Amino acid sequence: QGTQVKDVIIKPEAPSTLQLDKHADYIAEYTLSEYLRMSGIYWGLTVMDLMGQLPRMNRQEIIDFIKACQHECGGLSASIGHDPHLLYTLSAVQILCLYDNVDALDVDKVVEYIKGLQQENGSFAGDKWGEIDTRFSFCAVATLALLGKMDSINVDKAVEFVLSCMNFDGGFGCRPGSESHAGQIYCCSGFLSLTGQLHQVNADLLGWWLCERQLPSGGLNGRPEKLPDVCYSWWVLASLKIIGRIHWIDKAKLRSFILACQDEETGGFADRPGDMVDPFHTLFGIAGLSLLGDEQIKPVNPVLCMPEDVLQRRDLQPDLLS
Amino acid sequence: MHGRVKVKSTAQQEEEKRKEREKKLKVYLAARDACFSKRKEGIWDEGALQVTQQLLSSNPDFGTLWNYRRETLMHLETVRDEDEVQKIYEAELSFLESCLKVNPKSYGSWHHRGWVSNRLPRPDWARELGLCDRCLSLDDRNFHCWDYRRVVVKMSGVPVDQELAFTDRLIGSNFSNYSSWHYRSTLLPLLHPESPEEPAPPPRRASSSPPPSPQSRSHRVCEEQLLKEYELVQNAFFTDPNDQSAWFYYRWLLGRAEREEIISCMFVSREEERVSVAFSRAVNSAGLLLVLDGQPQRVEWRSVHPRFKHSPVWICDLAPGTISDVTNEHNLTVHWMEKHTHRDCALYTGRTESWCRDSATDQELFRSDLSVEKTSVLQSELQSCNQLRELEPLNKWCLLTIILLMRALDPLGYEKETLAHFQTLEVSRAKTRPLDAEQEVGSLTSSFSFFLFSPSRQEVDSMRSAYYGDLCSKFMIENTILKMEYAEVRVFSISDKSLTTLCHLDQLLLVTHINLSSNQLHRLPPQFAMLQCLEVLEANNNSIENLEGVYHLPKLEEVLLKNNKISTLADLEPLASCPKLKRLDLRGNPVTQVANVEAELTALLPSVVDLLL
Repeated sequence: QGTQVKDVIIKPEAPSTLQLDKHADYIAEYTLSEYLRMSGIYWGLTVMDLMGQLPRMNRQEIIDFIKACQHECGGLSASIGHDPHLLYTLSAVQILCLYDNVDALDVDKVVEYIKGLQQENGSFAGDKWGEIDTRFSFCAVATLALLGKMDSINVDKAVEFVLSCMNFDGGFGCRPGSESHAGQIYCCSGFLSLTGQLHQVNADLLGWWLCERQLPSGGLNGRPEKLPDVCYSWWVLASLKIIGRIHWIDKAKLRSFILACQDEETGGFADRPGDMVDPFHTLFGIAGLSLLGDEQIKPVNPVLCMPEDVLQRRDLQPDLLS
Repeated sequence: MHGRVKVKSTAQQEEEKRKEREKKLKVYLAARDACFSKRKEGIWDEGALQVTQQLLSSNPDFGTLWNYRRETLMHLETVRDEDEVQKIYEAELSFLESCLKVNPKSYGSWHHRGWVSNRLPRPDWARELGLCDRCLSLDDRNFHCWDYRRVVVKMSGVPVDQELAFTDRLIGSNFSNYSSWHYRSTLLPLLHPESPEEPAPPPRRASSSPPPSPQSRSHRVCEEQLLKEYELVQNAFFTDPNDQSAWFYYRWLLGRAEREEIISCMFVSREEERVSVAFSRAVNSAGLLLVLDGQPQRVEWRSVHPRFKHSPVWICDLAPGTISDVTNEHNLTVHWMEKHTHRDCALYTGRTESWCRDSATDQELFRSDLSVEKTSVLQSELQSCNQLRELEPLNKWCLLTIILLMRALDPLGYEKETLAHFQTLEVSRAKTRPLDAEQEVGSLTSSFSFFLFSPSRQEVDSMRSAYYGDLCSKFMIENTILKMEYAEVRVFSISDKSLTTLCHLDQLLLVTHINLSSNQLHRLPPQFAMLQCLEVLEANNNSIENLEGVYHLPKLEEVLLKNNKISTLADLEPLASCPKLKRLDLRGNPVTQVANVEAELTALLPSVVDLLL
């Protein structure tokens, strides 16, 4: 008799002790990674959107944060009070595309910032302090492609520089003469896709180097004689997709490696099975699974690492080799 | 974020760790706030160096702090004398060395070191080189350090042969030395260029294509040195056959010379009043000029498929009536202006078509002309690899290299052995079709029995079976092109060869008949549209579900696609663009079960009079 009491039922496996250390770890790690906060937000939001859970994040708070990170020169910083850089300029624009709110920024100023970072030899510095890296060539064209402003830089020269970073094995490094590395290969393949120059890649040679990243565990490493890492499921796999050779990987074995990197207790993915999880590896694990065809995850674009539907909205379909 | 093992510890350990982390966080926040507020006030003094130093040692990726430090150093340059500045920067180098000891892989630290070395009034490059030597002795795969070393070498003029000797030492003493082999690949062309007397290339204009990267072409090293490298690499993989880097480097050594940039083929057809041109590589149509009987023609060049802005094959249509009269003789020339090259083609009276081409053999497309020395070296390499193979029958690197050596020496002569080696690499790939769900159970049973009754077959590299399938397909296509040229026919026949992919389609511009039956093809890709002369397409018994490339083929009359995977009418739409299509065989395709299929196809393909369902 009487009114029913509204309550929940606590499952037996629920935490029963205060996991202060876990929270402290979480906060500490979060604070200590402030120098890359903008990218951290991009990783978190993108993986949420790929899982169809973007609405759970605080849109307005994030957009306000981004606005506060745009500097007078047009570039964006990782966090409030930090200095602007191409890496975080790209992450910010990617986030605003997810939220379909690119005009929260002074777009012309962003374009001016990027233009000002192109060097005489076509390369891009990351910021005014002059570090040159093909990662920044990718950041520049990816940002401009999302903004629809590719013609503001010298594309031919930019291409010339990236191609000068092609190595004996068909891969690419940071600068001319640098060793091939899957992360750089992803950036350069993405760059060449966005600039319509994929025919300059030796797809058969590079594809071989890339498929040789697969180890007996099924996981992928970033270059010869290195350990596998879930983030290479993205850098390597996306590169293979861009150059039309994704079928050269054993998909079933890679999928089981990625799944083994999950942490069933805390959620998220770690770099390899048994290690600590983080948002970076969580994004690339999920994005890798999407490229492998998992139908529970939204299709991801291999060039920009963003949901395909977001890019369709921007009318951006970068070339891929077939 | 990488390599942090999740460890379970006792409650007491957890509590201690928590206290420590809390303390660390407090310290961090105080230091960070101190830096930011100081910088906001515009303070650029030794105090600024001190507060940033604290944080950067354990957070070298905190880029903004390096920026603040650089601002401070630049300011101090203006208010201190040269000796003081030198001391400040040397202290900076010391500080950086301690940072690098803690984290040798921070982009921020290495960049800052380079920045400092650049600003030093009196840089000590020998010391910098010493730092690189020490860092590489701890980890010879640290690419940050290798990149910094390249800067030091450049700035201080270290001779190339000295660096080459450095790589010799590293390779001689270590395994896992991919970075050293890579460095070698960049040094050799500098020290031993292919032809020192090579005339300077024509000045490059803004619109010209970028030069090929010096690292990617092994032929840019003179042959004498290349042959020595074979010896060096062979020592490496004989010492450790599982050292991948040597095998990758070896493949580079075996790579073919870069093709001369030419117009490889030109085809003219009176019937379509069309000119088709094949180039030695993918090009853009800007800068192509067609001249007819001495008159430049205003034509629009198009690639074979709307997907391609860069293509090795381009087509243009002449104004109606220009060459249709078979009693007229015409001379046509295509100019590839950027490369200062052209091709002529004469269209004689009474002839409805004409062409002009360099054969694949002449172009050394699939096989280089080898000097006596090189042939002899490669033959002895092949012998050595075969010996190694007997000791290490499961070593896939060795098998693949044997295949590559045979391709380099005699692609046609070694065809049989090549196929046998590919079979070993791929396990049971040969003569099986791709599996769908129903077949999987059956094949599991059959592969189980396969292992029961074929104990000599072992798994060599099954993870990469799709790669080997495509590579073998490529080699079989190359051989078929060579045989076709030798026989002087325009028929390309490659059936029952387990083909998984198509390539070199730009070499098939003149082909009239193609037989791809009984293979493992999934599609006829857009590049297939380069077969502008195709009249008969036979591709029965494959797994074809996509016909994108059967697109605007003006002479195509017959398409045989029995027993494939064409499932929807949409899949057949490209065929509607082929105006002369008369005969179509679709028997054994899922699409034949679509409702009303015959009527739909008659509407879609009105020119087809012989439709087999």
